[in-house]
Order: sequence, then structure tokens, then C-alpha cells
Amino acid sequence: MIEIQGISKSFQKTVKNNSTELRALANVSLSIRENEFVSIIGPSGCGKTTLLKIIDGLIPCDSGGISINGKHVSAPGPDRAVVFQTFALLPWRTVLANVEFSLELRRLPKEERERTAREYLKRVGLADFENHYPHELSGGMQQRAGLARALAVNPMILLMDEPFGSVDAQTRQLLQEELLELWQRERKTVIFVTHSMDEAVYLSDRVVVMTPRPGKVAEVLDVPLPRPRLPDEVRRDPKFVDLTNYIWDSLKKAMENHHE
Amino acid sequence: MNSRFSTNVLSILSLAVLWEVAGRTLDSALIPPLSQIGAAWWKLLSSGKLLSNLTMSLATLAAGFFLAVLIGIVVGVLMGRFRAVEHFLDLYVNALMSAPMTAFVPVLILWFGLGVQSRIAVVFLFAVFVIIINTMTGVKQVDSVFVEMARSFGAKEKEIFFKIILPAAMPAIMAGVRLGMGRAVKGMVTAEMLLTLTGIGAMIMQYGSSFATDSLFAVILTILMVAMITMKLVQWVDQRLTGWKVEIAIE
Repeated sequence: MIEIQGISKSFQKTVKNNSTELRALANVSLSIRENEFVSIIGPSGCGKTTLLKIIDGLIPCDSGGISINGKHVSAPGPDRAVVFQTFALLPWRTVLANVEFSLELRRLPKEERERTAREYLKRVGLADFENHYPHELSGGMQQRAGLARALAVNPMILLMDEPFGSVDAQTRQLLQEELLELWQRERKTVIFVTHSMDEAVYLSDRVVVMTPRPGKVAEVLDVPLPRPRLPDEVRRDPKFVDLTNYIWDSLKKAMENHHE
Repeated sequence: MNSRFSTNVLSILSLAVLWEVAGRTLDSALIPPLSQIGAAWWKLLSSGKLLSNLTMSLATLAAGFFLAVLIGIVVGVLMGRFRAVEHFLDLYVNALMSAPMTAFVPVLILWFGLGVQSRIAVVFLFAVFVIIINTMTGVKQVDSVFVEMARSFGAKEKEIFFKIILPAAMPAIMAGVRLGMGRAVKGMVTAEMLLTLTGIGAMIMQYGSSFATDSLFAVILTILMVAMITMKLVQWVDQRLTGWKVEIAIE
């Protein structure tokens, strides 16, 4: 169980000695159940990524706090792993060595590292590519490696920052399906930041709609679609269509209010 | 690669032929034909004079260059990692990077005397600044998302340095080392000509002032070969350390 309580965060932005305060998040509260798949959607610059980094413990918040199963979060921990938008694969390491990276930091012996890394590469369908370097792979395959690296440490919570934002549309759909399958098998809590309404509804149990900067929670919506979700059927389901339309209206409203 | 190699050979051969023809036609002591230079080179080699001088020169080069790589990388990393260190030192490093190092030779003589220490110091000074600047730039340009990724997986500062910063900056560091190698060879010859007449620098001065142009050119060609071989050596090390980068460049 993740409790996000009244998180606020501002950044100092300095342009030519003019320091202005940039409010990224204002009083964000949210609680997420174990094994839940929650998407956070909102316009660019609404602080979605900032919120994710605060949950990961990468950056501190100005006020409020995060707790996971009652324990206060102040730094990255073994119960969380991030999948990055730009993949963040190390170009000087092979795919296998990249997946091993997260395990090296946990000081696992070499043999166990390789075995675990291979196992997760198999699960994301990259078994035949362990000796390739990242630049030799397509964007979709690179993100599969990024996912394997995160899963390899067996985290309770997967934090995904627009993970499929920089791959083409077909690959994106494939990756979404694969992610759902993995999630159903491994049962993890997922917090998934995205721009795409379609993606948020297809994947999630709940969708959190955020307002433009400073980011606040505008609405939290339940997704009443049964699982397992078959991608083509789900997208034709009237409830799916209604919900995506509703989120679009909600986002529009939030942005209009912002301009007034 | 193969066509490049054959073009290189063609280039050297045509220059050699041109030189030989020019030397024979002009029939001047100032431009001896290549065959005569070759004969002089062989004489210097078989008498042992070239090798003993070359060994002395290369020892100086190795010592000065080793120190330059060691200190250059350490200082460059510190400057790249800590803004305070950068601001404290960048004035001097930038000034010394483009200052003519030969101007410092008299000072070095005063400090270190006329012995081998002075020559090593010259090699060091010629090479170190370009290594510092390239290392610093490389360290500063490491993609912050890699550092963030490592931190997110629980990396400590030491692990971030050795597993992220250093390998990510390696191509830039090696570029500095490569440039430093070239400058070190210049420093070596400069020191031997300006400081104490030793090594192959001394041979240049000796043959130059006695108009023994064939031996002079033989020594100069030897220096060119040394420069080329040391450069290849550094490239070989570079390839081993940052082969991943080269692969990217080929694509």
C-alpha cells in the first residue's frame, strides 16, 4: 500500500540571474493498493515525472510525504524499480550486462546475476539478444531490456515513466499487451505515467487525471473493464470509449480552468 | 579498411619516388635523394648510435607521458565532478593549454637542473593540459539520466563513479590521451634540443649544424615513425577500452 500525502514540490529556475520559483506539484494526495495498476495522466509539465521521482525517492519533496506499507520513503529502495522513458541503457554494456547492472548493485555473485538476468530476458522475449549492444536494437527491444532490468531485482512496485512514449504505434500496442501479461503473472503494483488516454484506460485499474502546473489531482477514475483484457475487444467496448472521452473532457476542463 | 591501407601505401610510395627523383635532379646537399637517406639510416642503425639515443628518448617520453596521463585524468575528473575545483583551476589550465610550453624551458632548467627530470617535466607539461581538458569535458557531459538510473537502483557515489561516470567519459578521456601522445613526442624532441643535447634531439642538432643532411633526414624520419607507432599504440588501447563507441561511429 502506497500512501501519498499532500506532496508539494517547487523548483528554482534561474534564467540570466533571474530566479523564479516553478511550482511543479501542489498538495497531491493519493493512495494506491497493493498489486494495483494505476496510470497518471495529465498535460505536459504537470509534474507527473516529478511525482514518480519523489515516489522513487530520487528527489525530496518540499512538504507532505510518501509511505510504503507504513514505512516513510526518503531514498530509493529495493522495493521499487523504475522503467525510464529514454530507456537509460548503458551503451557500453551488452543487453545481458545492462540487465545485470541492477543486480550488481545488490552484490549478487556473478553466476546468480547471469542466471537471473537471462531468466528475465527470456520473459521479455530478448533471450537471443543478450550479446547485442543497445544501439543494435530497436526502440521497442531496448525498452524490453529496460523492463527486464527493472523486473530482475524483483521489486514490489514498478514505476514507469512514459515507458512507451518513444516507440512507434504498433510496437507500443504490443508492449502494452506484453506488460499486462507480465503484470498478471508477476502481480506487482504499477504506477504508470503516460500522455495517452487510450493507453491509460487499456492498462489500468484506476486513472489519475492531473491538472496543468502546478500539478494537482483533478480526478481519480475507476476503469470498470474486466480482465484479462483483449486489446481489440476492449477498445470496442462502449465503456472503454466512454471513459476515454470522459478523460479527454476532464483534461480539457482542467486546462481551460488553468488558462482563466 | 583494406582500400584505406592500400591508399596509404600508395601515398607513401609516390612521395618516396618524388623525393628520390627530386633529390637526384636537383643534386643538392640540401635535399639528398631518399636512397642516400636510407643508407645513412642503416649506418646509424648498425652502429648502434640510433638505437641507444632512441632508447634514451623513449624512456623520457614514457615517463613524462605516464605522469601526464595519471595526473591529467585525476585532475580532469576532479574538475569535471566538482564545480569548485573547476572554477579554481580552469583559468590556469586554459591558459597553459594554449601557452607555448617552450617558454617554460628556462624555468624548468632552474628548477630541475639539466638532467633527465627536466626533460620528463617538459614532456609532462606538453601533454598534461590537453588530457585534463578532455577528461573534464567528458566527465561533465555524462548523460544525467544514466546517473539517475544508477541512483534509482541504489548505487552509491563510488559505484556511480566507477560504473557510470568513468566508462561514459572514456571516449573523451581517450581522445585527450591520443592528443596528449602527439604533444608528448613534440615535448620529448623539444626538451632534447633546447635543454640538454641528448637522445635523438641531440642527433638532429648535431647533423643539422654539420650539414649532414642525409643523417639529419634519417633521424627526422625516425621521429615520424616513432610518432606514428606511439599513436597506433594509443589507438589500440582506445579500441580495447571504448570499442562500443567505435561501433556506433561506423554505423
